Amino acid sequence: MFSKEKIIVEYAVEKCKSCNLERKRKFKEGDYLFRQTSKCESCDGVMQIEKIFGETIEQ
Amino acid sequence: MVDFTNIDLDQLFGFGDDSNPLLMLVWILPIILFIFYGQRIQLQVTSGEIKKAIKKLDEYRTESRSELIDYIKKNMHPKEDPAKRIDRFLDYFTIMPVDMDPNGIVDKIRHTVRAREDYSRNHVKSISPDTDEVELSKVITLLEIATSLHMIYKVINHMYLTAKKQNNYPLILPLQMILPFIMEEAEAITKAIPAFKKGQPVGDGIGPMVVGKMMLDTKKEAVAFQTVASETELDGRKLTLLKAEGPGSTVGRPGDAVEYLVSKNKPDIIIMVDAALKMEGEDSAITAQGFGAAIGGIGTERFQIEAIATENNIPIFAIVIKQSVKEAITLMTKDIANQADNVRNQIHEMIQENTKPEQHVLLIGVGNTMGVPQ
Repeated sequence: MFSKEKIIVEYAVEKCKSCNLERKRKFKEGDYLFRQTSKCESCDGVMQIEKIFGETIEQ
Repeated sequence: MVDFTNIDLDQLFGFGDDSNPLLMLVWILPIILFIFYGQRIQLQVTSGEIKKAIKKLDEYRTESRSELIDYIKKNMHPKEDPAKRIDRFLDYFTIMPVDMDPNGIVDKIRHTVRAREDYSRNHVKSISPDTDEVELSKVITLLEIATSLHMIYKVINHMYLTAKKQNNYPLILPLQMILPFIMEEAEAITKAIPAFKKGQPVGDGIGPMVVGKMMLDTKKEAVAFQTVASETELDGRKLTLLKAEGPGSTVGRPGDAVEYLVSKNKPDIIIMVDAALKMEGEDSAITAQGFGAAIGGIGTERFQIEAIATENNIPIFAIVIKQSVKEAITLMTKDIANQADNVRNQIHEMIQENTKPEQHVLLIGVGNTMGVPQ
């Protein structure tokens, strides 16, 4: 009967340029696509933001 | 004692008797009322719904104005209160050229629109001259949002008040019909504000996102205002990549850029990647291929690209990613973002199918490049 409130959660997906390891995390202020963020946890490669998107969840 | 078990309803209400004056009044009064006052009653009922919508539109424009002023204060650190200047900007209007003689009208429209864009940019920059280009592009987009919502409110309110003033029901009908579409658009525009404030890519940015990734690690060259190109190779073909210069909020000037690139080195085909409005019932984030210049806006850029392609006999191929108006101007959805690799594969196939090795392809990522560098 009552519609649930929809909120959008912002995510960034980082991908290692060497081993293709992907990691999804919450969006942080200052993030933009293809930005190199940190070192890869599994190899010496560099993590780069591959996608930024919003997912709608109902509360 | 009254016997309640033996009441004759026909007798009580006079159903069986045509001459009952009370029953006649019950039937005749509403008929007379509706004959003489029907339109006014409908006007009152419709007015209530429209008033609610106008109140919502007023909230949207107030919210967008205060968000813009807060953003300017926080990020541009102006010496004076920017509220007065912003209010002046909100009322700026553009008079489109006369179209009685359509000859040369595209150039006139382009001139008028660009003059307005240049004016807005210079005056927003004058609020705080040290502001960098990315911040400036965000403020200009937020100003466009606030101006659009301000204008929508003013036009709808004017139509409503005119109908009310004249007590004219037919005048309110067109307003009632277009209002759901206007409200959908106004809500979408309002919801676009957070994405532009945070510098996040929007649904319309899928074209620049696809091409931007292909431009990484290549040498970029500014080929038109806020528009960059670079060169690379793919399966033995020469590939020129073109997009608006990110990560600021701009669509660049792809028309001028194509004109420059074609005059320098004529491509064999042009491929344009853009977001397109989905039809009702269509799924979001599906892709489609076609022919012709895939580019929105007021039409001047499309006209320029089509003219150059026709003059030089260059076929134009298009790949579009379908989405709603709201999805196009708000934070990119997961489904749209997930299409980026698929679109790159489609570009590879399209190039292989339509060109031979040694040939030259111009690939354009069309759309707002907010949050999408290259």
